[in-house]
Amino acid sequence: MSEDKAKLINLTINGKDISAPASLSIFQALWHAGYPRVKGAGCLQGVCGSCRVFVRRADSNEVTTELGCELLIEEGMDVNFLIYPIPPHQTYQLSDIPNSWEVQVKFHDIFPEADQCRHCGGCSTTCPKDIEVERGVALACEGRFQEAGELFVECVMCNLCQTACPELITPNHVAMFSRRVTAYFHTRPSNLINRLGKMHRGELQVVE
Amino acid sequence: MIKNAPYHEAVRDYEPLAERPLPPAAGLREDLLHRYHPDYRPDCFTKLTVGPNAGDPCHRRLAGILQSDSRIDEADLAASPEEEADVLVIGGGGAGCSAALEASRAGARVILATKLRLGDSNTVMAEGGIQASIDKDDTPQMHYEDTVKGAHGQLDRGLAAQMVMDGPDVIRWLIQQGMQFDLDEYGDLLTRRAGGTSAPRVLYFRDYTGLEMMRVLREAVFNGDVEVRDYCPAVELLSDQSGHCAGAVLSSLKNYKYSLVKARSVIIATGGIGRLHLNGFPTSNHFGAVGDGLVLAYRLGARLRDLDTFQYHPSGLAYPPHLAGTLITEGLRSAGAYLLNAAGERFIDELKERDQIAAAIIRECAEGRGIDAGHGQCGVWLDTPSVERRRPGVIERRFPKLLHLGTKCGIDPREQPMLIYPTLHYQNGGVVINKRGASSVPGLYCVGEVCGGVHGRNRLMGNALLEIISFGRRAGAAAAKRAHGFARTPKKIAMEHLSAFRRELMLAKMPLDRTSPLLFPEYAKFDNDSDYDGLRRNARVDG
Repeated sequence: MSEDKAKLINLTINGKDISAPASLSIFQALWHAGYPRVKGAGCLQGVCGSCRVFVRRADSNEVTTELGCELLIEEGMDVNFLIYPIPPHQTYQLSDIPNSWEVQVKFHDIFPEADQCRHCGGCSTTCPKDIEVERGVALACEGRFQEAGELFVECVMCNLCQTACPELITPNHVAMFSRRVTAYFHTRPSNLINRLGKMHRGELQVVE
Repeated sequence: MIKNAPYHEAVRDYEPLAERPLPPAAGLREDLLHRYHPDYRPDCFTKLTVGPNAGDPCHRRLAGILQSDSRIDEADLAASPEEEADVLVIGGGGAGCSAALEASRAGARVILATKLRLGDSNTVMAEGGIQASIDKDDTPQMHYEDTVKGAHGQLDRGLAAQMVMDGPDVIRWLIQQGMQFDLDEYGDLLTRRAGGTSAPRVLYFRDYTGLEMMRVLREAVFNGDVEVRDYCPAVELLSDQSGHCAGAVLSSLKNYKYSLVKARSVIIATGGIGRLHLNGFPTSNHFGAVGDGLVLAYRLGARLRDLDTFQYHPSGLAYPPHLAGTLITEGLRSAGAYLLNAAGERFIDELKERDQIAAAIIRECAEGRGIDAGHGQCGVWLDTPSVERRRPGVIERRFPKLLHLGTKCGIDPREQPMLIYPTLHYQNGGVVINKRGASSVPGLYCVGEVCGGVHGRNRLMGNALLEIISFGRRAGAAAAKRAHGFARTPKKIAMEHLSAFRRELMLAKMPLDRTSPLLFPEYAKFDNDSDYDGLRRNARVDG
């Protein structure tokens, strides 16, 4: 380990030249080099989607999107932070959907652009969690909400897919809609319902 | 000099076994906590000298920020824009969102201000689950008794009793917001056992329970009528002529300007203090967890409690070093993962309370039975392969976050154990509240980790997610109700409480060059950042 520590990695972050020991993340390297960084810092454990970065590696023309807390620094990397994700432009209330037969119609009312997918694959390419984003949108358009939602178990709502979409689809919010209607209309656990009934009838109390 | 086994040797010597008996000698020693838990190191604590808790014990680091001056003066606010709301919620985690949703649904005009983005919080990082007594062999009474026992009896029993009775309805409410849980083949909620409990009672979604909860609540807030002010930390509360809470001063990180939000009720939901790294521990906490809410409430005169007790989660990652402190869920021990020392021996019942387990891990390392990861870090094994051997496929099915973490570490947790050491996880104490979340200052409500009394001196797994929704909903409703009782906003709203607090600091001969809240951890060098010249420099607080 001490050899790794001695070796400094050189890279550029937001235009600043940084040298830092290997095995640091982008954030740790910035702080190590003495640069303050608050914007984009979140959970620092890969679940909040705050620290979105563009990355170009040495000898490559390809620009990838990753999370700055999870990404380890590499020699010659060029990193730029993206900040302030765009808030979603649609609004809906689950309680406005009268019953589960109406979910598909409501979905297309709320997300009219979802049908316009050009299949460019930009959303899936940008996803730092390797989710099949485009397929998820297609499934939701077909009304297969549970299946669509299950693709997004690891989604951290970093909004990169939304940024990538030329048709202004908001795939992560399509996914959240799919997941939420699945719970709202179909999660009916008998063990919970029985317990709620007992409590409602006053059969269970706590004696302090 | 105590010498633990070097990491690579210990990896080589490790042998995956499905079953390992607990040696009889591993029974609890009476003095385990006193000898090894960081809460029992007297040199870490001091007595507060100013404010409502003067004379009470408090961690030195926390005492430093509680007894600091404000970042601002009345003069800083000249010509600052003002707006009004019925309810101002400070903090955008699970507690803040549930409070804001309920206040808004009760008809209040709600502004939610958050330091970073909505959902940037410890909620999103919670893994293990949420406790609610729903199994037929379980009762709210058992949940209550487990909570009291875990707390070492030093809790507000009324708050705990109300919370456990709220449990099942909290789950229904979450499902109604669109939250998914792991279900069995018939659609019933699956349960697992938390350490120190008498029945399986933790409901969960993989090891992403908090992420699932937070993204659903965030979506609900964005789609509702709550006005969200992101990148707007609160730097001071406002008070009226009677000393009641009347709003807050926000400091925007976007345009570097102060603004005033005058509100009839204020709900503080700012979370805990992990990023103060008390006693040099790594933390599982979010970047913003530096105790802002405690500071704001204390300066306005709110009583706090139990400021000398913190939770160190037993399983924080100890290797590799750049991920030190990252949380690994207690759900793994619940699923049967052993804790092993370098000799491959179990040394404690893995489902004891968190404080006992953390102390036992610290003991193993202090007495040379741990594993040395280099960089001054040591730890013990969380024996994940044992779980996989007994129930093949369970890690992929139930613990995807662990697998992802393993990928980042270059370790397959199904084959190799993870090195762990306690990580600073939770602030057990905090603002004293009643059953509606009201603090001792009229108009000021507090919910979630910023509060004390619910968990006493040790919190059980899954009780934090329950607390934030149970009390969040209640405080939201109560704050909205209080707001409706006002005919109009009080005339004089200012920061009169600051002069009183400064006078106290001076009389106690406390240094006046320290300011708080800190807003961000020291190593982010926020106050040196030229991008943020809207805020005054913050003196470094030592501790």
